[in-house]
Amino acid sequence: MKFFKSIIILIKKDVKTELRTKEIFTSMFLFVFLTLIIFNFAFIGKEINQNLMVGIAWAIFLFASVLGLSRSFIHEKDTGCLEGLMITPTDRSVIYFGKAIGNLFFILIVEAISIPMFSLFFSEESFLRSPLQLFGVLFLGSLGISSVGTLLSAITINTKARELLLPILLFPVIIPVLISVVKLTIYLVTADPFINPNFWMNFLIVYDIIFLLIAFLTFEYVIEE
Amino acid sequence: MEKWNKKIDYFLFLLAFISLLVALYLTFIYSRIEKEMGIIQKIFYFHVPGAWVAFLAFFIVFIASILFLKNKDIKMDIISHASAEVGIYFCTITLITGPIWGRIAWGKWWDWLEPRLDTYLVLWALYIGYLVLRNAVEDDFRRARFAAVYGIVAFADVPLVIISILFLRKFMPHPGPIIFSRGGLTPDMKLAFFVSLFAFTVLFILLLRRRIFLLRIEEEIKNLKNKLGR
Repeated sequence: MKFFKSIIILIKKDVKTELRTKEIFTSMFLFVFLTLIIFNFAFIGKEINQNLMVGIAWAIFLFASVLGLSRSFIHEKDTGCLEGLMITPTDRSVIYFGKAIGNLFFILIVEAISIPMFSLFFSEESFLRSPLQLFGVLFLGSLGISSVGTLLSAITINTKARELLLPILLFPVIIPVLISVVKLTIYLVTADPFINPNFWMNFLIVYDIIFLLIAFLTFEYVIEE
Repeated sequence: MEKWNKKIDYFLFLLAFISLLVALYLTFIYSRIEKEMGIIQKIFYFHVPGAWVAFLAFFIVFIASILFLKNKDIKMDIISHASAEVGIYFCTITLITGPIWGRIAWGKWWDWLEPRLDTYLVLWALYIGYLVLRNAVEDDFRRARFAAVYGIVAFADVPLVIISILFLRKFMPHPGPIIFSRGGLTPDMKLAFFVSLFAFTVLFILLLRRRIFLLRIEEEIKNLKNKLGR
């Protein structure tokens, strides 16, 4: 019980700092918006079909997530807040879960605002056909990104290259998530009979559980000094 | 102990040298030229052993990483470092020979529909990342911890990558180039293949041991320098 309480306190702290600085959210959202414009001009004169649009959307979400994830520990590190958190009498994994859930929260909000924007710019309403299922896919996909991303972000922040290293470490690990969310989203948008949604859904859940477990077990070694 | 290590290394060197020579002979002279694919099929005798050794190397990284986090023994870190480095070379061999074969068999260098090629590309990216991470941390103990965590994350990702890439194309119409159909190996081809597999594995063990030896010396020099206060 105390475990969950501490996690909630940590999330509250992150949300509060974010509400004051609006640093992560603004940069993530603007990034999504600008990349969308870039893609539209890059593909000018070409028909963007639904499959391509889904791929573009998830690629942009992934890049935007990296932006947010890399910021998530920089603040803690620069202000010495991480040391403060480490001397609190809680389990180290509390810090991980607090951060991971906080990151998941930010990524989801950015996605939730961006999806209608995608529909608008690509004049494609099929994105919003089944909002509840779409939210489920967004949730599981973003959980995958934030579960691995938070662990790797805590690692890269302590290296010489800092946030430069995060995408290099994260992208190869995140490929299974990218494949399954793109498949699932295409299924929701086009109802492609060749896609088996149950398989990909279960696959995504297994992925999330595996990496949450690994992060839970190894996080204490990452921030231990 | 030191003396024995040297003797083992000499023995491994001889074994690797001879078995590689035999493998070359068996590959190019003894075994027949495959009827359908022709001479290009001979890449198989290097491509597959390379892939096997790369996988073995990354598995060793995984095990050594877990053992390091458990016992905090810097020896385990040295093993995983050496194994990742040597493994990358064999993975590169696989990635180079694959497209050369594909150019003849499929008519193009790279086929994104071929799951094994894709998997090894991701594998390569994962462990290049591992080595880049090692390079980016200065403190020894911290580097060991970070590398161990990433070594575990990377290897846990491998089966997931394989499954997702396999199922990615499962329901798509794919002409499916017949890759090294396993049942189709004649006894002479089998012999060449297994000798080559053995030779590659011995070569890997030898290279791994030499790399570990070098890393240990580096470690020792660093310790001695610290003692002298420089």
